[in-house]
Amino acid sequence: MTTLEKLTILADSAKYDVSCSSSGSNRSATYNGIGNASAPGICHSFADDGRCISLLKILFTNACMYDCGYCINRNSNDSIKRVSFTPDELVDLVIQFYRRNYIEGLFLSSGVLRSPDYTMEQLIQVVKTLRVRENFNGYIHLKGIPGADAKLIREAGLYVDRMSLNIELPTSQSLRLLAPEKDRAQIIEPMKLIREEMASYRVDAKKFKKAKLFVPAGQTTQLIVGATPEPDYMILRISEAFYQKMKLKRVYYSSYVPVGRVEGVVPYGIHSLQREHRIYQADWLLRFYGFKASELLNEEAPDLDLVLDPKAQWALRNLHLFPIDVNRADLMTLLRVPGIGTVSARRILAARRLAYLDFDGLKRIGVVLKRAQYFITCKGKMLARVDENPMFLRQLLADGNTQLNLFDLYPKQFGGGHERLSI
Amino acid sequence: MKDYLYDGTFEGALTGIYYMFKAKEKLNESRLLLQETYQMSCLNETIVVQVNAEHVDRVTKWILEAFGEHAFRHLAYAFLAEDTHYGTFLFNYLKRLNQLGAGGVMCLSDPYISQMYKLYNRVTRESHLFLGLLRFSELENGILYAAFEPTQNIVPLLTGHFKERLGAQSWVIHDVKRGLAAFYDGTAIYIKPLEMPSILNFSERERNYRSLWKKYFKAISIDERLNPRQQKQMMPKKYWKFLVETPSNMNIK
Repeated sequence: MTTLEKLTILADSAKYDVSCSSSGSNRSATYNGIGNASAPGICHSFADDGRCISLLKILFTNACMYDCGYCINRNSNDSIKRVSFTPDELVDLVIQFYRRNYIEGLFLSSGVLRSPDYTMEQLIQVVKTLRVRENFNGYIHLKGIPGADAKLIREAGLYVDRMSLNIELPTSQSLRLLAPEKDRAQIIEPMKLIREEMASYRVDAKKFKKAKLFVPAGQTTQLIVGATPEPDYMILRISEAFYQKMKLKRVYYSSYVPVGRVEGVVPYGIHSLQREHRIYQADWLLRFYGFKASELLNEEAPDLDLVLDPKAQWALRNLHLFPIDVNRADLMTLLRVPGIGTVSARRILAARRLAYLDFDGLKRIGVVLKRAQYFITCKGKMLARVDENPMFLRQLLADGNTQLNLFDLYPKQFGGGHERLSI
Repeated sequence: MKDYLYDGTFEGALTGIYYMFKAKEKLNESRLLLQETYQMSCLNETIVVQVNAEHVDRVTKWILEAFGEHAFRHLAYAFLAEDTHYGTFLFNYLKRLNQLGAGGVMCLSDPYISQMYKLYNRVTRESHLFLGLLRFSELENGILYAAFEPTQNIVPLLTGHFKERLGAQSWVIHDVKRGLAAFYDGTAIYIKPLEMPSILNFSERERNYRSLWKKYFKAISIDERLNPRQQKQMMPKKYWKFLVETPSNMNIK
């Protein structure tokens, strides 16, 4: 089989992994080698589905001994061809794509062939060849194979920038249901190991100049939203725990796309992309805005409102905290105002050292006054006089400009007829 | 009301600033304009500025000392946006910084500071985008060649990144619109005028890797999630011409 055919099949099989990020690493270049990692990350293209292409996202093989109900590569799926790269084929692709500036590096994952250890060894051979033989210093994101020996995970960590183990589904019950051969502990244990190794690298780095890098861009995970019935609250709680306890850099959410029908196990029809979008917004609030999951949702109100962004939802429930004085409020308070993001909040702090801010100034800074006006005062004045009726405000703040379609909002009710999705 | 006229170069603008500050010109009264497009009017007195290396040097030092590298980077990058009002913006900017002090660089609520910052931002944004969107092709002689048409004059801002990244590899980055190219021969970077070459001889394997990339680009998209709006938003259509891959959202079902 030609490389072209393999590339097509193995990219097609890899595309359900969401992560594209190439950020967080600062690996430097060598004159005789090729590549470096740029801390802010670089997008190289945008696919027809609007997602960024930064890394060559590819499977080593799509042959897999497991039979996970949500996965296109599951053992029982007869509709796809099974192929494998050789390490040299893959290394050549990475180097040649990289030289032409098509990609920022490699995101390598794989089906589980023969055994987790065997698969992990194959992956290590690819990244080792890139780093050692080719002197490649571009970004490498490697998928950890659940169940692989700790020694192999540790070895891989020395060559890659980022590692990830996918939690796949929000709860272990769901995992048992859809991926009976996978065990949650097999996913969590390597995560802990990576966390420990990263911590000990940081200690070593303080003592020795030449401490060996270990997963400098940290680890991430991914879970599928909508294949199983967990509410948003449960998902955010899990992410929060991953950020706090496991020190993950990112949790990615993937709205369930039915890849071949598995009767009775996974839902039929594509899941709401709007829900995925809202969960991402909430995730940002956890990571950059100082919100707790319990402030955004709780057991009584377990799901995010699809027509309103999560920060606005929170603000409407907490109108008694507003309006705030833009010229006095501290950073954490500013961050909680709808229409003020992390960039504009910091700009407000920098600007007001020298100037007393008015609404025109806020506009120039980049505050979205259309949203913020109901929650702030400048020089003692409010721009908008509204009575504090949350229902009225809700209408004003809803995503009115981008018409949401009924399918996006209520996929269960309107999603039945999407025949084209069945493979 | 006085109009100072300069030749459109960065040095010309800095020389203009020297004369304007020396004459104690006031904000909102005097302007620094392009000589080439200036329309004479009987209302304003005009002064034509000749580039003077000593004055340029002096103004540069003054900016660096008084307001820091941060400010200098903002106004130098902003120049690359090629805005016709740059001269006057620069005068206003420095006048305001003089009142606000060094911290004024990030006082973006100020109309004059934010005017300059907007140009700076436009330039850095586009140059960051092209760190990703630039496409090299391998020529017969092993040199990597990339053509593109940026809106801003960003060739000088891209060179450091690719020099670092591609090691000893020789390359050319060619702004076809401006006829300007950066060359790297493994030791040093040169920026020189370059016309569009009539024939480019690609290496034998070039075609192969291009078709691999095109194939990959198609395969990685999830059909159930087609999103032409986002694709165009993140990667404006004006940049598609020089990409190897061809986004297919032109005619969506």
